[in-house]
Amino acid sequence: MYFDTTVDAHRTSTGLNNRKLLIWAFLGSDVLFFGTLIATHLLYRGRSLVGHTEDIFSIPVTSASTFILLMSSLAMVLALSGIQRGNLQTMRFWIAITAIFGSIFVGFQMFEFHEFVQEGLTPRTNLFGSTFFTMTGFHGAHVAIGVLWLWSIFFASFRWSAGERNSLNVEIVGLYWHFVDIVWVVIFGVVYLVGAYGAEDRILPPVSWFGG
Amino acid sequence: MATEHVAAHKEHPGPRQYVIIGVILVVITAIEVGLFYIQATPALIVWLLLASSLAKFLLVAGFFMHLRFDDRRFAILFFVPLLIMVALAVALMAMFFSLTR
Repeated sequence: MYFDTTVDAHRTSTGLNNRKLLIWAFLGSDVLFFGTLIATHLLYRGRSLVGHTEDIFSIPVTSASTFILLMSSLAMVLALSGIQRGNLQTMRFWIAITAIFGSIFVGFQMFEFHEFVQEGLTPRTNLFGSTFFTMTGFHGAHVAIGVLWLWSIFFASFRWSAGERNSLNVEIVGLYWHFVDIVWVVIFGVVYLVGAYGAEDRILPPVSWFGG
Repeated sequence: MATEHVAAHKEHPGPRQYVIIGVILVVITAIEVGLFYIQATPALIVWLLLASSLAKFLLVAGFFMHLRFDDRRFAILFFVPLLIMVALAVALMAMFFSLTR
């Protein structure tokens, strides 16, 4: 058994499922939104006159949170694969894993924000702080909304039967989740790694992160 | 009048393929972090980091979001804004840096 959710069961003028078309249109608009935030951050790179900039990043910590988010994407696609094969139990298991990994990622981000503020970097410190907290803050908000959406799907699924309509519900939240993941792939690569490459303190995180 | 289209659609990969893609993503991330600590020509490292980010982006969009397998119009909805954004960002940065040099 395999549920194909690309083509709508009801005839549409496009021949495509309208809900799926809508989520892709939304993701297209969100590309512009995050693209603007990332471009603004890059534009002001190296123009902060006071305070910390990329030297404050801890790449080992951010690499761990990136790994968690990538694994959550894998769990998400395994949840979709489960329901597309008519297995609700498998879908619930992987949806829960995805939501837990998403929560861990948000926890990492809160920890990072807290440490940055302790080190003296806030949104009002300099251009770097303003653009960094706005960009990663909006991304964190997207992840948090995704976690709530995933749990709502998890609990709603106890009233479901395996079918095309419910498979589409999981596919739509999955598309949103993978999008949040690829936005982070770009932020981690372009902002963290490329941004911090060349910073003098890049080998180890600040000592204060470990209570020193 | 509604015209019926037959959406081009291939069957999605199975769990085994998804796990393989997941492992590839982790390996690329590990390589990225390794590159970060290498003392080499900065321009080379930066381009390698950008290329690895692009590879991860395409793997997730192509396989996990099924853009390789679903109707092409979904890919157009996603990649056209992306191209516009990249072009806009590059143009803006070029203009900004030339004006503030």
